[in-house]
Amino acid sequence: MRFSEFLTKESCVMDLNTFTKEAAIRELADVLTKQERVADEEDFIKHVLEREMLGSTGIGNHVAIPHCPTRSVKGVVVAFGRSKQGIDFQSFDGQEVNNIFLMGTNPEDLNIYLKLLATLSKLLNDRIFRQEFGNAATPDELIAVFKKHEK
Amino acid sequence: MGLRTIVVSIAGSPSSLITAKYAIALAKLLSVKLVALYVVDKKVLQDLLKSRIFVDVEARVYERDLEQQGAAILERISKMALDKGIAFESFLMKGVVSDEVFNKAQELQADLLVMGELKEKMSRTEVFYDEGERILRRSPCPIVMVKNPAMVEALYKEIGPL
Repeated sequence: MRFSEFLTKESCVMDLNTFTKEAAIRELADVLTKQERVADEEDFIKHVLEREMLGSTGIGNHVAIPHCPTRSVKGVVVAFGRSKQGIDFQSFDGQEVNNIFLMGTNPEDLNIYLKLLATLSKLLNDRIFRQEFGNAATPDELIAVFKKHEK
Repeated sequence: MGLRTIVVSIAGSPSSLITAKYAIALAKLLSVKLVALYVVDKKVLQDLLKSRIFVDVEARVYERDLEQQGAAILERISKMALDKGIAFESFLMKGVVSDEVFNKAQELQADLLVMGELKEKMSRTEVFYDEGERILRRSPCPIVMVKNPAMVEALYKEIGPL
């Protein structure tokens, strides 16, 4: 399962306009809604925030992966946002988050979604990937880094 | 010594029913028993827990949901097998997918393992982690990999009902 197949230029926001966890999630959900990947934006956001209540999805190394299954999305959806300032996600390592992957899945695509999350997790565990990913300045560069490491 | 048991590994992907249809057709044509296996992939859930993407309660909900999806698809395949009048059994298991399929195929002394198609192109990472790829390499018996859904549908219709 290649993550780069699910990440589009249009779903990457390289400079988020928001400064809080909820606002960033809303900004990225809006990007997906505008691409007609989300049928009910408020329901999607509600499920993502409910998931955050169980524990932060800030996984360390300045990355957060807010996510949830919900019938409000079509298939598996991914949006990426970068915050230059950093956002308090209550990450376990106490660091602010600069890179956010908002993900959702329709329950029918659970198997694909889980594999995709696992792929992202493996990539983010790779120090060289993290370095190149952090240096990517445009959506094209970002997707190119994923493609390079998924060859 | 003829064939006695065909095992089909159901991955839960959209093409799973095509894989099942081909396995049913084979079982019918060869007059053998068909055993369908669905494995809840606990490894992926554990990996996501370890990487802190999931929390405990969330992983348990996903596990339950995957189990329900597996039970539903096995039930559907069971009805299809019944319609075609073949001997059928199914197992819903949990664990590492390739390990569970390997162990069950060995335990059942499967003569043939039927599985879905692998992606035409896979990255190195995908090859390393893909459970289908592992099943292909580890299977204790010959394997049939199902391709060409249109041909499968035609064959499935051709074998007729009970």
